[in-house]
Formats: sequence, structure tokens, C-alpha cells
Amino acid sequence: MTTMTETTTQVYQLYIRATPEQVWDAITNPETIARYFHGAQLDPGPLEVGASRRTWSPDRSRLWGDNTILECDPPRRFVHTWRSLYDDELAAEDESRVSWEIEPARAGTSKLTLVHDKLEGAPKTAASVRGWSFILSNLKTLLETGEAFPAEE
Amino acid sequence: MFKALGDPTRRHLLDRLFERDGRTLTELESELEMTRFGVMKHLRLLEEAGLVVARRQGREKLHFLNPVPIRQIHDRWISKYRAHEVSALLDLKTSLEDTA
Repeated sequence: MTTMTETTTQVYQLYIRATPEQVWDAITNPETIARYFHGAQLDPGPLEVGASRRTWSPDRSRLWGDNTILECDPPRRFVHTWRSLYDDELAAEDESRVSWEIEPARAGTSKLTLVHDKLEGAPKTAASVRGWSFILSNLKTLLETGEAFPAEE
Repeated sequence: MFKALGDPTRRHLLDRLFERDGRTLTELESELEMTRFGVMKHLRLLEEAGLVVARRQGREKLHFLNPVPIRQIHDRWISKYRAHEVSALLDLKTSLEDTA
């Protein structure tokens, strides 16, 4: 297997045929999130700085994430802390940060950039969150076709 | 995107970013036998193809490898069942080449 040297900032970018408002809804609305993010159940809560974002496994038996909103500027910028609680080893690492940036782009598309940084104290998390590529592709497919990828086994 | 990948210098630049992400032009230039202008041109092509994202951080412009377009190519032509077979074959190739 090829190993990758972990870096402390990861950048993901894609164009989605949707308005910035639709993209904003997809990253903040619990019902939509469940459809492209491994069935994750996000507790409803206020979208404001300092509010917490609790995410559970699909059957709500395990806490997957308990993050805090750091910036909230609809429909442009949404920043929150990140800690992977679904795995004990990852949960023991330092908190990192996820920033979603949405910009209107040409021909009715939106440019979505996800920056996952402050990964200095979370090398295992840095390796595991490479799965953002899959999540973001799924988000794009859902917004453009109304259907997410088939459920994983 | 395939045009962007169809050049050894550009693949080399992506390899450098894969090793360590978030590099400046000066850093990338120091590893290539090429003028700053040449490296800039290649980086611009990679940016246009969506394979590299440049971001300002303070006074510096850092270049990051964007894995999303490659993931999309993967999803288009490799089904989730075949992914395991492909990955097993690649592991085999790597282990055989490492021991050779």
C-alpha cells in the first residue's frame, strides 16, 4: 500500500449544479445530511456560533460527533470543530476544524470548498477523513439528481 | 482533466503535493529543473482541471491536491464491488515490486 504523509490542512473542491442556498441547506439540514453522510443523524439545533452539532449513528445508539459551530454566514461560510467520536482512537486525538465555503459560480453552479485543518494533533483523524471525497461526491449527486448513492453494505 | 494528467511534469507536481500538501510555488519550483514561469503555467493548467486548489494563507499562496475529481472518475468507472478486486490487485503489484 502506498502511504501518504499526513498534512495538517486538506482541501476539497467541487462544482455543483445548484444554488448556494441549496448547497447551504444540504450541509445544515439534518434530513439532507442523513442522505449523503453514512446515514448520520444530526440533532436539530440553532444555526449560530457557539451552538453544538451532535451527530449520531443511523440507529442513534452511538454518538458520532459533538462539534461546535465557530462561524455561520448563510449561504457562504460555515465553520465547525471536528472530532471523530465513532472510533476511540480517533476520539482521543485533538480537535480539528472543518470550514465549508460556498461561492456562486458560472452557469448556475456553486463552487463548494471544504477545508479540514488544524489537524496537527490528529494524525489518525487526518488519514481517516480522506473519505471527504466520497461524501462530497455523494452530496453533489444528491443535489443534482435527487438521489444519493445506493446505501453501503 | 486527462489533458492535465497527460504530462510528466504535471504528474510530478501532483506527486510532490501528494507527499506533502499545501506548498508554495517557490517550494515546488525548487524541485524541478524548470523556470518559475514554466511551473506557474503547469500549475494553472492543474488548477483549471480542478486537480489543484490554490489558497491564500497570510502572505503565501499555497497549492493543495484536490482529490475530488479523481474520486469522481473512480465512481464513474469502478463499481463498489469491483473496487475490492482492483485494490487487491494493486496491493499485489506493490508487494511484488517492493520485494523485487
